Amino acid sequence: MTAKQPMVEERKERDSSFSLFFQKKNLYKVIGLLAIFVFFLLPVMRLIWLSFVDDGSLTFQYYTEVLREPATWKTVQNTLLIVAGSTILALVLGVLFSWIVAYVQLSGKRAMQLFIFLPFIIPSYITTLAWTQFFSASGPVNAVLSWLPGSLEAPNLYSIGGIILLLGISHYPLVYLFTVNVFRKIPRELEEAAATSGLSKKRAFRKVVLPLALPGIASGGLIAFLSNLDNFGIPAFLGTPANIRVLSTYIYEQVVGFGPSAFSRAAVLSVILGIIALAGTILQWFLLRRSRVNETNRSDLTPRIYLSAGRQKLLEVSLWIFLLVTSLMPLITMGALSLISAYGVPFNLENLSLRNYEYVFLTDSKPLSALTNSLQLAFFTMLVCLVFGTAMAYLRFKYPDWSTKAAELFITIPFALPGTVFALCMIFMWLEPLPGWNPGIYGTVWILFIAYATRFLVLQVRGSYTAFLQIDPSMEEAARTSGAAGWAKWRRILLPLLFPGILSGALLVFLMALTELTVSSLLWSSGSETVGVVIFGYEQAGYSTYSTAFSTVLVLGILLGGGLFMLLGKLWDRKVLKNK
Amino acid sequence: MIKVNNVSKNYGSFTALHSIDLEIGDGEFIAVLGPSGCGKTTLLKLLAGFMGPTEGTIAMDDTVLASTKRVLPPEKRNIGMVFQSFALWPHMTVAEHVKFPLSYHPNKIKEGKKELQERIDEVLKLVGLNALAERYPSELSGGQKQRVALARAIAPLPNLLLMDEPLSALDVELRMEMRKEIQKLHRETKASIVFVTHDQGEALAIADKIVVMNQGRIEQIAPPEVLYTRPETAFVATFVGKCNLVKGQWHNDQFVPAIDPKNVWPDLGVADSFKENGIYPVRPEQFQLMPAESDGLQGVVSFVQYQGHEIHYTVEVGEETWTIHESVFSSRFQTGNFVGISLKNAPVQEGSLISS
Repeated sequence: MTAKQPMVEERKERDSSFSLFFQKKNLYKVIGLLAIFVFFLLPVMRLIWLSFVDDGSLTFQYYTEVLREPATWKTVQNTLLIVAGSTILALVLGVLFSWIVAYVQLSGKRAMQLFIFLPFIIPSYITTLAWTQFFSASGPVNAVLSWLPGSLEAPNLYSIGGIILLLGISHYPLVYLFTVNVFRKIPRELEEAAATSGLSKKRAFRKVVLPLALPGIASGGLIAFLSNLDNFGIPAFLGTPANIRVLSTYIYEQVVGFGPSAFSRAAVLSVILGIIALAGTILQWFLLRRSRVNETNRSDLTPRIYLSAGRQKLLEVSLWIFLLVTSLMPLITMGALSLISAYGVPFNLENLSLRNYEYVFLTDSKPLSALTNSLQLAFFTMLVCLVFGTAMAYLRFKYPDWSTKAAELFITIPFALPGTVFALCMIFMWLEPLPGWNPGIYGTVWILFIAYATRFLVLQVRGSYTAFLQIDPSMEEAARTSGAAGWAKWRRILLPLLFPGILSGALLVFLMALTELTVSSLLWSSGSETVGVVIFGYEQAGYSTYSTAFSTVLVLGILLGGGLFMLLGKLWDRKVLKNK
Repeated sequence: MIKVNNVSKNYGSFTALHSIDLEIGDGEFIAVLGPSGCGKTTLLKLLAGFMGPTEGTIAMDDTVLASTKRVLPPEKRNIGMVFQSFALWPHMTVAEHVKFPLSYHPNKIKEGKKELQERIDEVLKLVGLNALAERYPSELSGGQKQRVALARAIAPLPNLLLMDEPLSALDVELRMEMRKEIQKLHRETKASIVFVTHDQGEALAIADKIVVMNQGRIEQIAPPEVLYTRPETAFVATFVGKCNLVKGQWHNDQFVPAIDPKNVWPDLGVADSFKENGIYPVRPEQFQLMPAESDGLQGVVSFVQYQGHEIHYTVEVGEETWTIHESVFSSRFQTGNFVGISLKNAPVQEGSLISS
């Protein structure tokens, strides 16, 4: 006993100091997780809670009320029809394009990719606006059709079909993004093995390539599904005039319609929307349950299918026609029609004027103040996300344990939620953060800032995390064995290497915040209008010419910014990272 | 002098290192050899300070570098490190790589700019890169990148130089050349070197002492020649070079193979652990093949593989299958030939036996 005494004491001493360090570390962990819980998870819980509560007591009253109305079921039916149709359209276009770009010998693939992504960086409500101009009475489609024999008319975009078309075209780049590298990573030897086993090219595609690409296709499909479900701009611009409602626009109508139980009814509808989103996620999980993904394969950039020169030209021309018609032409039409003096007059030299621009930027004061608001909001959102998102990504990269994984999951929730639902969550959370205490966040620009920062933080986390993954850990280790720690290590080694990746995340956050519509449309207040809200307002009031003029300026700004970013990225790569 | 004292390292429930003890003398060149997953990289990371031990301590010249309580971070240790992937920073020139540790390392140049520039020139000259000082990593060949990595590690004259499989990213010919380069740097800097590798030829060629590791434990620590001729465990015998583990019985210093008790082999320095288990480890080149009618154990050749400088025979001897390497100048045998097998006696250099 006596001989063992000192050892026990020694152990005790070590334990206490060790646990002190452990406690301190755990304390930070708990504070961080708590903050994330309050900002990211609690709002959602309060929304669900509110759908069950009336005057402080639990009730199913709102559920029975909302579920008994035929309007609800009509809306759900529309939603399902539109989401199914547009997801199928996005999947077909996305998979077709990714398969062609991945496997077929074509020239100008890089430029093609750029155009595929164009509908992705232009906000969907602006795309919709452009398409309505494209198909309008004075637009090019009608001009071509009237020139053709027979009495053809341009299809009406203000219909379920129109909504499906625009959702599909806006979201197929997502499917493309998820599948193109999956196709490239399927080893060509597998197809060759199938061929030597006697399978025809078609059967090899069906039996080998397609099953292997399924995980990518299913993930792309899920993202397209969720984006279609979440989208507010397209059904709001096209559906509202034709009296077609989907859940996202119906929730919006409930909230802006006020009324005694508006928020509770909106909460119930949000829960229904959430259940549909969850059902889609579970479906995807079932599809992926059995698939095995081989992540170690390298992507193979050399084409696998060579066409004869004539056929290749034909394919290239038809792809380009499709890309130009779906992405560039509507924007050009919008720009052109914004220059005519009044809605509906023919497009010719006499009717050209800058009147609309004059009104938007000189007469009406709203657009300029909205632009200032949006730019400020986007800049500060980007700044906050840049710091916290990159710090979060570093912790996630450096300490991949349960706490950072849980934190990332929580941060994803606001982005994964449909925008209208998330906006409601924000209202419930920040109207009275603590029961009985209204700090006046709701009704000011601050709620927009909090909403943007929490909704888009995950984009920065993902962007920065990818940047961290791409630099070899030995880069940092080499800096440390050379004696550099702390700020010197970050300034001299890590930041120069991470800069392009972090910047692309930050730019995405900036762009999303600048053109945000769904969340803003429910959270804006007089004096805190954003760009999206002003365009939406013009459109609702029937001032198409003003909204097109403002949108044209925005699109030019976005394209200019995107071009500058690409240039900067190239320059950084060449001048700083010395890549050739 | 670095002392690794009873160090263990766990990752969750997995134990990567089991109570390691190791001493590294001043100026000693130690190779840590083992298969992947044996814990050699973990040991290197502990020496560098990228993580702390679960048990035990690491000390350098009587100051404790790491214990379970406190871990001195790598930037405060007097070390240099060469990485497997070189880990060159793409945005810095060769000269900037050498300058970096001279500005931040615990041994940084505290005098003026002139001394700094002199030291940079001196280091670049040592690795033969003075003509390429303004080049960026993307403009260098593999061997040149390796030299930059070496230059950066040795520039601040660290007490301990850690090398994590530094040659594995190079092609065979460059590897041979860089072995000499590293030996030269060792002579000129007089730093202690810990060189991690899975290539036994590399370890045998350049180290003063080899530490063989397996499954988180040290199997044997010995100079190269002792390690090869006097392996202490079956793992060392088969991992470092090829080895036939012949079964039989030991009677004092005499071995009788189980297959043919008429033969008696003398003890050429077999470790006790083998003797206890009734095994005689025989290197493929220690055997001699003779026509069947001669003395020795009898066997049948089952495979013959021509290797240029020697011929590898696979011989079935009773129940056992032995690998035997013969010089191309000795008499040849064909598949199916009956052969007699006897043991050669290779002398070991006295010097290396004493230093163990």
